[in-house]
Amino acid sequence: MLTYLVRRLLLMIPTLLGITIVVFAVMALSPGGVGAQLATETMDMKPQERQAIMDYYNKRYGLDQPAPVQYLRWLNNVSPIGFTVNNDGSLGTFSFTKGMDLGDSFHYGRPVSDILAERIPITLLLNVITIPLIYVLAIAIGVKAATDRGGRFDVGSSVIMLALWAIPTMLAGVLLLGFFANVQQWHWFPTAGIGSRAAQDMPFMPHWGSLWDVGLLFLGVILGTGLAVWLSRWDEVKKRALVSGGVGALIGLWMAAAHAEHVWFNWIALPVLGAAIGYGLGKMPSFAWRVATLGIIGTGMGIVLATQLMGPGFVRGFLFDRIWHLVLPIICLSYGGFAALAKLTRTSLLENLSSDYARTARAKGLSDKDVLWKHVFRNSLLPLITVTAGLLPSLLSGSLIVENIFSINGMGQLAVEAVKSRDREMVLSITWISGFLTLVGYLIADLLYTLVDPRVSYD
Amino acid sequence: MTNKAQLSKAQVSRESFGRMIWKRTLGGVGVKLALTWVGILVIAAVFAPFLANSMPLIMSKDGEVSMPVLRYLDTEDAAVLAAFVTLIGLWLLPMHLKLRSWLMWIVGVTAAVAVLASLMLKPPQLIIYDDFRTAAYTEVDWRLMPPIPYAPTDYLRDQRALPLQAPSIQHWLGTEENGGDVLSRMIHASRIALSIGIVATSIAMVIGVIIGGFMGYFSGLVDMIGMRLVEVFESIPTLFLLLTFVAFFGRSLYMMMIIIGVTSWSGYARYIRAEFLKLRKQDYVQAAVASGLPLRSILFRHMLPNGVAPLLVAMSFGVAAAILAEATLSFLGLGLVDAPSWGQMLNQAVKSATFNWWMAVFPGGAIFMTVFAYTLIGEAFRDAIDPTLARATGVN
Amino acid sequence: MSDLLLDVRDLHTYLRTGEETIKAVDGISYQIKRGETFCLVGESGSGKSISALSVMRLLPAAIASHPAGEIVFQQENLLTLPDAALRRIRGSRIAMIFQEPMTSLNPVLSIGAQIMEALQLHNPGLSTAEAEERTIKALEQVQLPNARRRVRDFPHQLSGGQRQRVMIAMALACEPELLIADEPTTALDVTVQAEILRLMRELQESTGMSLLFITHDFGVVAEMAHQVGVMQQGKLVEKGVTEQVLRQPQHAYTQQLLAAVPENLARQAGRIRGDNPSLTLPISKEGTSTSADSALSLARGDQAGVSPLIEVKNLKVWFPIKKGLFRHTVDHVKAVDDVSFELPKGGIVALVGESGCGKTTLGRAILQLEQPTSGSVKMRGTELVGLSAKALQPWRGRMQIAFQDPQSSLNPRLLVETTLTEPMKVHDIGNNAEERLELAGDALERVQLKRDFLWRYPHEFSGGQRQRIGLARALVLNPAFIVCDEITSALDVSVQAEILQLLLAIRAERDLTLLFVTHNIGVVEYLSDWTMVMYQGKIVERGPTAQVCGDPQDAYTQKLLAGVPRLDKVA
Repeated sequence: MLTYLVRRLLLMIPTLLGITIVVFAVMALSPGGVGAQLATETMDMKPQERQAIMDYYNKRYGLDQPAPVQYLRWLNNVSPIGFTVNNDGSLGTFSFTKGMDLGDSFHYGRPVSDILAERIPITLLLNVITIPLIYVLAIAIGVKAATDRGGRFDVGSSVIMLALWAIPTMLAGVLLLGFFANVQQWHWFPTAGIGSRAAQDMPFMPHWGSLWDVGLLFLGVILGTGLAVWLSRWDEVKKRALVSGGVGALIGLWMAAAHAEHVWFNWIALPVLGAAIGYGLGKMPSFAWRVATLGIIGTGMGIVLATQLMGPGFVRGFLFDRIWHLVLPIICLSYGGFAALAKLTRTSLLENLSSDYARTARAKGLSDKDVLWKHVFRNSLLPLITVTAGLLPSLLSGSLIVENIFSINGMGQLAVEAVKSRDREMVLSITWISGFLTLVGYLIADLLYTLVDPRVSYD
Repeated sequence: MTNKAQLSKAQVSRESFGRMIWKRTLGGVGVKLALTWVGILVIAAVFAPFLANSMPLIMSKDGEVSMPVLRYLDTEDAAVLAAFVTLIGLWLLPMHLKLRSWLMWIVGVTAAVAVLASLMLKPPQLIIYDDFRTAAYTEVDWRLMPPIPYAPTDYLRDQRALPLQAPSIQHWLGTEENGGDVLSRMIHASRIALSIGIVATSIAMVIGVIIGGFMGYFSGLVDMIGMRLVEVFESIPTLFLLLTFVAFFGRSLYMMMIIIGVTSWSGYARYIRAEFLKLRKQDYVQAAVASGLPLRSILFRHMLPNGVAPLLVAMSFGVAAAILAEATLSFLGLGLVDAPSWGQMLNQAVKSATFNWWMAVFPGGAIFMTVFAYTLIGEAFRDAIDPTLARATGVN
Repeated sequence: MSDLLLDVRDLHTYLRTGEETIKAVDGISYQIKRGETFCLVGESGSGKSISALSVMRLLPAAIASHPAGEIVFQQENLLTLPDAALRRIRGSRIAMIFQEPMTSLNPVLSIGAQIMEALQLHNPGLSTAEAEERTIKALEQVQLPNARRRVRDFPHQLSGGQRQRVMIAMALACEPELLIADEPTTALDVTVQAEILRLMRELQESTGMSLLFITHDFGVVAEMAHQVGVMQQGKLVEKGVTEQVLRQPQHAYTQQLLAAVPENLARQAGRIRGDNPSLTLPISKEGTSTSADSALSLARGDQAGVSPLIEVKNLKVWFPIKKGLFRHTVDHVKAVDDVSFELPKGGIVALVGESGCGKTTLGRAILQLEQPTSGSVKMRGTELVGLSAKALQPWRGRMQIAFQDPQSSLNPRLLVETTLTEPMKVHDIGNNAEERLELAGDALERVQLKRDFLWRYPHEFSGGQRQRIGLARALVLNPAFIVCDEITSALDVSVQAEILQLLLAIRAERDLTLLFVTHNIGVVEYLSDWTMVMYQGKIVERGPTAQVCGDPQDAYTQKLLAGVPRLDKVA
């Protein structure tokens, strides 16, 4: 196992080198070369100043030297083992503990490592929250669809998943931002960033004006959830469905009322939509699902009601502020991956449910539920793990768009700016870091695979 | 002894493998809808100058009949029209030609027309659209305007139209930030989207097939180097690679096609390599080797046609991805400079403080429908060829 | 309380696929008494497996339905029993084992865990320690070596035979009264099959349980069954005491099936092995020089001067095993390990062995489809190993191969006509396209197919027809030598009989040399003049078929032949 790890790590190096060479080649081959941005930015300066700056950069980065030499210099800077570089640009002694120098950004004028240190955590935050969310939801829906094979949930969810997967991230982001974060529509969510300025000064936890408000909140939650659970426990399907349909219509009406303008379309369409969804949810045969979905809606409604009635003095707190800002971006980032994974889970489960070992388990006398959870489930997870490897690059790409739409200052946004301003150091560093993260993702996926599947051993 | 010529067409190739697959693919409702949408797009792309333009299609002034539209067609319009007409012609004619002949005819005719057109057609470089609304064109005996009487780059300066108007009677889908008509721009943008989709995917496929084929057939060192290359292109998030290429290489249409093609070949290479590895072990390939058939025949007659099926599936998804890539680039502000694009219009939806919903719903909807349609077609194809393939390819 | 255990009355099972409904089981009735073995025998598609799965309602409810009939077990109709009650019976009163032991066991759970699950499900009061003890006992009962240690092993760490033992242990853990076995030994090697069958007989005697055994092999029926039922297309055409049915079959279909079994084929044709005058040449033993042993192993006659068609000397095909950081070679898989023999002109030589012995690799290495690691292969005196592709080209027309799997032996994209005429074009057979077409049609007719089949695609044919087309493809180049790589292993016994008879006829016409690779001893005895037995890459015994099969010298050969289920070994 150790040899396998070492081998994989060693194999990463040529790939990383390859990535950086490709990107460097693109920059070098492009019309204008690497120093083009520099030339345009210094256009307005006096000739002597301009010359001084060009000289400084040339010395520092060797911009006046041919491309392959520039690449080697950069490689030398980045690698922790190599030649130290003196201030005037000449090479010093060879050292094993030189440390990594990612260079300075042309565009920002600050060291790249500082900028990255600020931005990477934000992108990681988005992705780290998204990944488990995707998996949990996908497995839940996939399992339900597989056990309901051919039924309405299955067919319906398959179509919805396919449609969701096809919605481009930017469209979803724009729609979410436009409808839910806009003063003209429902201004429920903030328009930009991951935290409001005021939140920096807020205490971490939320803080209510008075004890009565806290009590009100609890009351709201208990009432909402309790009513929802009580409703889902009704046995008469039709009555239950009608009542939840009615509640849905009410919610729709309230949403139409909360809209900034009075659009007649909203007043008709939203209650109808709410009624339909409510009816559908109420009719679901699976008790667990009913409680879950109706319960969440009930809790949400309870909280909303409580907040409407609360007095002033509510301080959001850093934690909630952050969460509030993250809701829309995370929805945007996760729906695509979740749709794809849900389909994959369903396919994998169906295939395993009709396998020979499942038949053996049934022949032993196990109930369908036990066959599913004790035998089939773990085997079905295997393709999901394989897919994880490919999930990371697509999430990074998604981050690019999401951060752009929601004006979040993460690594994705940084990448777009760096490329637009032809900031050489920044582009190279982002490239190899994202490549590195991807390769690490592959490695983790392979290692996870060995944990789950005893047939696989790496020698 | 009957030979092939004597048997009627109905008897020969009663159920060729390819035809069987094609029939199975077209079974579902979803696929038919998807093909309808693609068909609409193709019609929009081909006939764009006739569907949305500021000048009359045909008019009669003082007894003289003229077709102003024709004067403003350029090489690209002519070539696209020629390709379409050839395609329809080949399909309708009772001749039974092989795929290779089809491609040769289409490419040949298109190229010929393109050359002729570049010599003969000389549309004026600068068009002042306001002229078409002056007396010279409005006071006529009769005239027939295109269904959408605005050209994509007609910014309606004479009408002092306010930019970013919601849909109305004059502008069915509203106007965009410069004053141009959204529907017109969308129709013309479909041409860009489709052409980028098809050409970029073809480029990616050719590169992928060549590299993957070498890897699969020769193994050993070639395989190792090839795999590293594939890994390199897979590890960089595609969007980022695209951005880098585009930012540094410029933003012309052909550049975009090449760039999108060059960044997405790795998937096809993997497919072909896996297929070749599998095919090499197949008995009929072994039999071909044992019969001493030449390498050329083994590769192109025995291996490639049987390995192509998953590739076609990947191609369908690939076109969707390419269209999406172009839209994303336009959205981020790195798209084509001049031409209309769905992504660029989508961007305008949230640029200002107001939410211009028609800019999000309609161009965004078009992108969504196109991606959805190609995905459906790809999935139907995949289910027809091999239901077990769905598992193997996982998400995509 | 009779000793009638299972009473199947007029069982019907219909399967819904797409828009069609198939009558998989169309009204069968039989009875199984306590302690008795009942065999259901039939070809593929006869419905025997479906009927076995129907007993415990293991077919997916979405596809299968039972519109009529009853299955009575302990005074209850299993077909209408509610789910909870049925689950109590499954695994504890009636147990089932299946054909493919690798896929029938859950790959991610240890074998001990899977057996314990059955125990704890049907014995709720059992503690974990007790369950583990009983599991180990069950494994010992099926004679799995080192049971206590192997309890924690995973299925992929065991061999095929061992996995089937685990399946049996799992089935018997709760001491059922009836064991349903759906072709449990079909996927196993002959020697392993013999052991498993013996084990099952012993267990049956010691526990007194009944056995419903599904199979397609009459030899197995003869060994195992007290009563037998013959199924054809969903119906039970004959049923009775085994000896009666096998010796004096009443129904035409049964007679047909029995006549097609290779053992009976030999008797019908009246072949007395070793009497063939066309055989002249001995097959030389490895290690000794040719001149000495041509006197040694001469069957009869003295035409020692005729040179062999194919000479193989010290052939080795070794595949490297690479491990470690830098993938250096640690060991080799010795698929073919220093093999030498000669193949006489015009003879049919059988190459027998179990799976993994290297016989397929040997056949392909002779044809240069697999690169030999060392050694020599000579055809008509010319060395073939190491020849360039161009130099090898003319020889390719003289030696051909036919494959095992009907699904992948023909290129699905090409018309049969192209598949047959293309090799002819490459080897300059026939002066123009019409002549080649004519010859291709001739080849099809020779394998008893219609000329019009030239204009069809492979997917329009059945498995047996595709094997015939594969033979036609091999014949079309007029080769002197054909390797038949298990060509009948995937076919039903009646189709197999036809193909074997076809081969004999073709050989007689064209004076062909055939190397028939197989694992089926019955086929060997019917078809071949000479036999070579292969084990772990080496040839352990060789000689005229009568001698090798009648009086084997080598221990492995003896074990192999002893394990073959024979019709005359009626239980």
